[in-house]
Amino acid sequence: MDSKTALLKKYKRRQRLVTVLPFVALAVLFAVLCLTVQAKGYRLPMYLKILLNEGVVLAIVATGATFIYTLGSFDISLGASTLFSATVGVMVYNATGNFGLMLLAIFGVAIGCSLLSSVLASVFHIPVFVTTVAMMSVLSAVAAQIITANGGALGGISIPAEVVRPFDVMWFKILVLTVFFAVCMFLFDYTKLGRRQKFLGGNPVCAKLTGIDLNKYAILAFIMAGIGVGIGAFLTLVYTPSVTTGTAGSIGMNILVAIVFGGMPISGGPRSKIYAAVVGGFSYIILNNILKILIDSNAGYGISQIVSAVFFLAVVYVTGMNYRSQLLPR
Amino acid sequence: MKAPILQMKNIHKRFSSTIALDGVDLDAFPGEICGLIGENGSGKSTISSIAAGMQKADEGEMFFRGEPWSPVSMIDALEKGIGMIVQESGTISGISVAENLFLAEVKKFRKGPVVDREEMNRQADLALDAIGASDIRGNMPMSALDFQARKLVEIAKVVMKDPDVLVVDETSTALSHEGRNILYDVMRRFREEDKAVLFISHDLDEIMDVCDTLTVLRDGNLIRTFSKEEFNPDAIRMSMIGRELKGDYYRSDFIPSSLDEIALKGEDLSIPGELDGVDLTLRKGEIVGIGGLSHCGMHTLGKVLFGAIRPESGRVVTGDGSEIRDEGSSMKHNIGYVAKDRDTESLNLTASIRDNIAIAGLDRYAVSGFLLTAGNEKKYVDKQIADLSIKCSDRDQAVQQLSGGNKQKVVFGKWIGRGSDILILDCPTRGVDIGVKRDMYRLMSDMKKQGKAILIISEELPELIGMSDRLIIMKDGRITKEFTRSESLSDADVINYMI
Repeated sequence: MDSKTALLKKYKRRQRLVTVLPFVALAVLFAVLCLTVQAKGYRLPMYLKILLNEGVVLAIVATGATFIYTLGSFDISLGASTLFSATVGVMVYNATGNFGLMLLAIFGVAIGCSLLSSVLASVFHIPVFVTTVAMMSVLSAVAAQIITANGGALGGISIPAEVVRPFDVMWFKILVLTVFFAVCMFLFDYTKLGRRQKFLGGNPVCAKLTGIDLNKYAILAFIMAGIGVGIGAFLTLVYTPSVTTGTAGSIGMNILVAIVFGGMPISGGPRSKIYAAVVGGFSYIILNNILKILIDSNAGYGISQIVSAVFFLAVVYVTGMNYRSQLLPR
Repeated sequence: MKAPILQMKNIHKRFSSTIALDGVDLDAFPGEICGLIGENGSGKSTISSIAAGMQKADEGEMFFRGEPWSPVSMIDALEKGIGMIVQESGTISGISVAENLFLAEVKKFRKGPVVDREEMNRQADLALDAIGASDIRGNMPMSALDFQARKLVEIAKVVMKDPDVLVVDETSTALSHEGRNILYDVMRRFREEDKAVLFISHDLDEIMDVCDTLTVLRDGNLIRTFSKEEFNPDAIRMSMIGRELKGDYYRSDFIPSSLDEIALKGEDLSIPGELDGVDLTLRKGEIVGIGGLSHCGMHTLGKVLFGAIRPESGRVVTGDGSEIRDEGSSMKHNIGYVAKDRDTESLNLTASIRDNIAIAGLDRYAVSGFLLTAGNEKKYVDKQIADLSIKCSDRDQAVQQLSGGNKQKVVFGKWIGRGSDILILDCPTRGVDIGVKRDMYRLMSDMKKQGKAILIISEELPELIGMSDRLIIMKDGRITKEFTRSESLSDADVINYMI
């Protein structure tokens, strides 16, 4: 074997390593969680239930958001959208008693909020990040106003638990995640939509000169994210049939961390991976739960945040490893 | 014989699986312009970038004025005496020309807590005047400048530091006639001041005209150094590609020909300050060349014809009367566009060869118009890689790892793969070696024979004269002259209408 072939093999091995690393990290974190729970004498099934309930919502919203992140954009308002959609859903159910209308309202509001961000960005040429920051403020404020006016900030507003109880079963939540992920994966990896979005994220100028309509694909990305938010808002209500001003508050930032944990480049583009949202979402939730168990005090919260941040930086470094070595002057 | 200013001994460099330099020795002597020539990927840019501090050698020694030389960065190298003008864009668009020129030295202009922008602009103007680029001013936003003007800013940025060795890496291909003259003047000034120039170019005529010596690299090895009296085009070409390559690469016929059918028509196209009532007809089976100085409007015209820029008045229509309104409608009518600024406008550098070729042809191989299967895609991409002889490890190799010529082949593959009937090529052979150039000219001739229409926009007159059925010359946004293909047509006939 000549040196050229050996080097090429080494390069490809490293590429494969970077690809499988998020899966390995997920498996290792899961094993650590199981060991930690058992070592502390807690009930593992209870933790697995918490993990699935939190993880499914984060993974679904993050999967939809991957379409936006692939474009190299960033939506910080997804948590506020989830809160606002769930709030409107509760209000509609309480006003009509109709479950179907509630669902319609949740998805209508979620997709509508996403569309508004993208249309504002594409029509008025405002950076997407700016529109989503504005949306986050507006949606949080309006949701808080509705919640406090109708039930008080602490107690929140709620729907009768029996309305959503039939859906509060693990198989249903996993099924919803599986179906949504499968649809997104199909669109992302096997259709023109996903391929063009990845290309657009890598070089918008070149994409435009290859006939790709920037606005159209930005709007489609936000619609996908809106659907994810809608499902996330519904599952949030299924888990706890009440909405407070703190509901889904941290989802916006958690999505960013989750997607990066899953091995997706923060700049989007052709190396974006749809599975990053699910793998990273669950990794992040597991890591948080491990840290909560290990550092069980108020002071520990800060330490957990620091550990998460270090983990985040390490993942960004490793996922970017191959890319950096390719920046060659030729 | 004078002692060399720069000595590079036994330089080795590897990139992943590629051996870029395999023990190269190179000297730069005072009062000498040394040409570096070789095919894409031969190691020219790598050796010069090592000298200029852009990257480190894996092995080998360097000496600058007799002292060991190991710059930590390009800025460090420039401060200490070796400056390099890079092949692709080396400027930042969001800031002014002056800020680009004094990027690492803004503190020089500090007056208390504020920066004295007036003084910075004045110094920038002086630097630009010193190279003869007085139409560019320090207070201009970089984004307002075209590709050539940005290159001139880069030249000024390096020259104002007064280095002892100037490295010019394939810069002239980004420049028009006037821009090249500015660059040549700078290089000659360096020679007169007993300094050294390393000049990398693919243009053999240019390099033979400007240089005192010529070093040929091939596959990371130094093949031969020619002195001025040894310059012989065939011998140099043979050293470059390792086999005999004689005669013309252009079309051998001198009879203009085309089909009667119109492929694309621009009617009264105007954009204030750029195009002024341009009418142009491109027929099937025809190659039309457009030449002129850099600011003549020809690059804008290419974008307008592709629908990337909307004209203020006038319209672009295809042979069947359909109007071209944007890039999408161009692609629907099988029009392809190869941009001058390859790395920014024609390629997605972070993507693979496969992604770049496939993206324009998704509708060609998608099952039922939407489903992309790996099998169809591989077949589609592999055909382009094979047909265009793209040198790569596999289809999934990142485009940024390829040499300039192979990158350009990927761009061609992108448009040819989808079966474009009309190709608009803006400087298609910029920064590519003679072997790739020859392949591209052959490809154009074959496409013409198949009845396809080609518009070449170029700053290389021999290329335009050698390939075009009709040659259109533009000046100040207008068409000033049209030549028909003929054996007697020469550069001298054309230049008068450009200036």
